[in-house]
Amino acid sequence: MTVPKTLLGLLKRYSPSGEEAGAVNFLVEHMGSLGYSQAYVDEVGNAIGIMGNGNRQVVLLGHIDTVPGEIPVRQEDDLLYGRGSVDAKGPLAAFVDAVAEIGEFAGFQFVVIGAVGEENDSIGARQIVDQFQPAAAIIGEPSAWDRVTLGYKGSAWARITRQQFTAHSAGESRSAAEAVVEDWIRIQKWAEEYNRDHERVFEQVSPTLSSMASNGDGFEETASLDISFRLPLSMTPQMLYKELGKLLEASQFEELGYAIPAHLGDKNNPLVRSFLRAIRQQDGQPRFVRKTGTADMNIVGPVWGCPILAYGPGDSSLDHTPNEHISVEEYNKAVRVLGAVLKSL
Amino acid sequence: MNTNCQECDAGITLESSTEVNEILVCPDCGVELEVTSLNPPALELAPMEEEDWGE
Repeated sequence: MTVPKTLLGLLKRYSPSGEEAGAVNFLVEHMGSLGYSQAYVDEVGNAIGIMGNGNRQVVLLGHIDTVPGEIPVRQEDDLLYGRGSVDAKGPLAAFVDAVAEIGEFAGFQFVVIGAVGEENDSIGARQIVDQFQPAAAIIGEPSAWDRVTLGYKGSAWARITRQQFTAHSAGESRSAAEAVVEDWIRIQKWAEEYNRDHERVFEQVSPTLSSMASNGDGFEETASLDISFRLPLSMTPQMLYKELGKLLEASQFEELGYAIPAHLGDKNNPLVRSFLRAIRQQDGQPRFVRKTGTADMNIVGPVWGCPILAYGPGDSSLDHTPNEHISVEEYNKAVRVLGAVLKSL
Repeated sequence: MNTNCQECDAGITLESSTEVNEILVCPDCGVELEVTSLNPPALELAPMEEEDWGE
């Protein structure tokens, strides 16, 4: 089976977050050779290709960075192995190829973006969110060629710190380390209580203890926990931080990184209808999915306020794994689905 | 345009502005239905909404 050139070119250029330049330069040059009206690298290093100059803008936002861990690119029958084959060079390459096949289309402008930094702080999406005002947006993430992703949970991080005078271990006082462990247990119980009436994971608060540390100098001791939270639509990061303020007794907490609220797109709009129709045209039975992770949809969705969904070939259970691979046949089906969608909007 | 719910057989009237692939909610049983044809009017159960990991 012939390997798609766009996908193969991206896979051959290993591009973990912060090291995307080689893949970005390839993609920009490649989009130029495919007939895009414009192809350029923006201020933060995103690869951007524009096809046509119609009034109705459709943004296809993929990401070109991957998690670290290079996987030798190889093909075994229909399967193509390589870091990012699923998350998310497969979906991004499918965007590029689908738009190239359509070419300029009256009344429309298609914007394909290979954003940098999605696996890190989403610097690429934050850069472009104010640059475009699409009538419809498709986010490039793997969900299988016959599924449409409607939304993602939000995320937030916090560091909890307890600093106190050192206590003698033979005494009754708790150590700083014990105190933050009790904070963690309190947070877990609060989440369990919140989740009691929310059966689906998409609707639950999901805290994860990601690291812990403690130290002392004989006079004072400090203990800290870093906790990540996956958030439902019903809890914004601001609501979470307010709850933490109530839950923690003598410990302090600080917000870490960029907090992102959950986002769920509408499923009754022309964009979703086009996908349902196009998947059926390829003999598929369309399905919807809500993801319990977070993606660039969470950043652009609330700002753009247009019909939005995520789509892309690939089995997302292979995301971030050493066995990451994609079916070329599935990739080609996704390109056909995207082509049919873009021509019917 | 009249048709029936695939789940509970309730009678459903499609408005003239209805589009193919539009998703409706059955007023009787609450199930989501997808309009798969307008002429003749036809409904199917809307695609299932799954949940999985991914970002």
